[in-house]
Amino acid sequence: MIMAYVAQFFWGWLLASLLLGLAMGWISVVQRGEGVTGAWGRALWALVGVLLALAVSQVVPGRPGYWLDLGLVMFGLYLAGCVVGSWLRARVVARTAPPA
Amino acid sequence: MHGLFRWSSKWWPGAIALVVLWALATWTSTEPLEGDLAARSNAAVRDAVLDKKRVTVAGRDVSFAAEAFSADGRRAALSAVESVPGVRLVNDETRLAPEATPFVWSAERDVVRVTLSGSAPLPQVKGRLLEAAKAGGGNVEVADQMRLARGAPPRFDAAALLLLDQLGKLKDGKLTISDDKISLSGMARELGGREAIASALKNLPEGFSVAANDVKAPPYVFQAYKDPVASTLTLTGNVPDKSVHAALIATAGRKFFAEKVVDNLKESIGAPASFAAVMGPALSALSRLSTGTLVVTDREVKLSGDALYDAAAAQIRAGLGKELPPNWQYKAEITVKPPSAPVDNTVCQQLFADLLTKTRIRFESSKADLSPDSLGLLDRLTETALRCPTANIEIAGHTDADGDANANQSLSERRAQAVADYLVRGGLPANRFTAVGYGSAQPMAGNDTEEGKAQNRRIDFVVK
Repeated sequence: MIMAYVAQFFWGWLLASLLLGLAMGWISVVQRGEGVTGAWGRALWALVGVLLALAVSQVVPGRPGYWLDLGLVMFGLYLAGCVVGSWLRARVVARTAPPA
Repeated sequence: MHGLFRWSSKWWPGAIALVVLWALATWTSTEPLEGDLAARSNAAVRDAVLDKKRVTVAGRDVSFAAEAFSADGRRAALSAVESVPGVRLVNDETRLAPEATPFVWSAERDVVRVTLSGSAPLPQVKGRLLEAAKAGGGNVEVADQMRLARGAPPRFDAAALLLLDQLGKLKDGKLTISDDKISLSGMARELGGREAIASALKNLPEGFSVAANDVKAPPYVFQAYKDPVASTLTLTGNVPDKSVHAALIATAGRKFFAEKVVDNLKESIGAPASFAAVMGPALSALSRLSTGTLVVTDREVKLSGDALYDAAAAQIRAGLGKELPPNWQYKAEITVKPPSAPVDNTVCQQLFADLLTKTRIRFESSKADLSPDSLGLLDRLTETALRCPTANIEIAGHTDADGDANANQSLSERRAQAVADYLVRGGLPANRFTAVGYGSAQPMAGNDTEEGKAQNRRIDFVVK
């Protein structure tokens, strides 16, 4: 219900998040380098977990609470875009690469 | 799956762009979102019966403050706001409207406005009361100082509307409902208004009773103003009924022979007892004044003005009080008109003739007692005699030819003497007057008609 309302009100921003995720996922498959790993990676995922817990428990009041919800929804769509983008790129790479 | 995990470590840099996107989204969307939610929340409780309604939105949280008139109404309004799409939390700042004990409501009327104050049970009742006050009070301004509160007695609105209907009958005053007791005070606009209000109160809804009805009737006022310049006698105010009204106009016509009677009287109930009996002597006294005002209020007679000469002033001051019924008050403010310039004997004769052609000196039937209707004329004759100090005057009495000649002779002599005595009482020396009776020997008109006989029954003034 709430999501439906937010989606209706801000579909532009949400679509932008999704497209950003697709683009990032597409790039990440062929990008060289390590990315964010180890302690940093775990800290970031932990941060996302904490923010999610705060949003679900609705303890952040007023405007910050709304901003948190909006940020998490955008992040969720970004992640979904990344997953789809990476998966698509992985399939393309597998088809075109010469057999090892 | 392993691939996803490996790739995911490279998704983080994109989060920087996402944060920028998020910042832009919050920057542009917060206020429109709050405006939208406030509008939807207000729409959700538009028809709810609430007072002091206030909706404020921060993010997706709504603070909802209001005073409700029942626990059910309060819960319903709260859940209506909670079910608005997009609302995350509702901060409940609602409460029940205060309960008034005792539940007091009042409507007060003065010259320019009607003020409604105290407690009203519901917003729509309050609106109806305001409309009724506007309709009932005529074109007066209506000031609303009512607060909303719980605790009204059953059928409160019917009782309040009935009272507001009575407001138009008051000139000023206050109507109060305190729980189921009603009290009224003030002054009715018209005579009879107090009685009309009392009978309307018999239709009060069940459970209500009148604790105090102190509405006063307006004073019963009769006024007569004699204006020597316009030569009018203006009658204003109230008379008890049609017959007294007609009798009063007839009396005024006889007593004020030189003035036109302007009748602005209104017939109305509520006259003091013996009103009609007071009018005769009071108008007689007024007829003796050159200019004057007579005011009869409840049981008080007030006479002010200018008498024609000193003795008349003294007689009017002392006289009327004795003729009034017991329990009546008499207040006289009588001054004396400045004396007119003396005239010679020829003019004097002319002035007498002028007065006596307008009307005649009247007596009680077959008697030599002066009629009170002629006092005004006699005072004018006295005033004229005072203006010609050297004239010797014959006062000639005449009768019609009816009856015994000797009796007529005697009656004419006694009537002439009565007039001479009146002039002497007015301060003139007795030796200037000769009272002569001619019986029916010098008729002015034929004695064969009633009109002719009336003309023959007369007193003439002859300057010698």
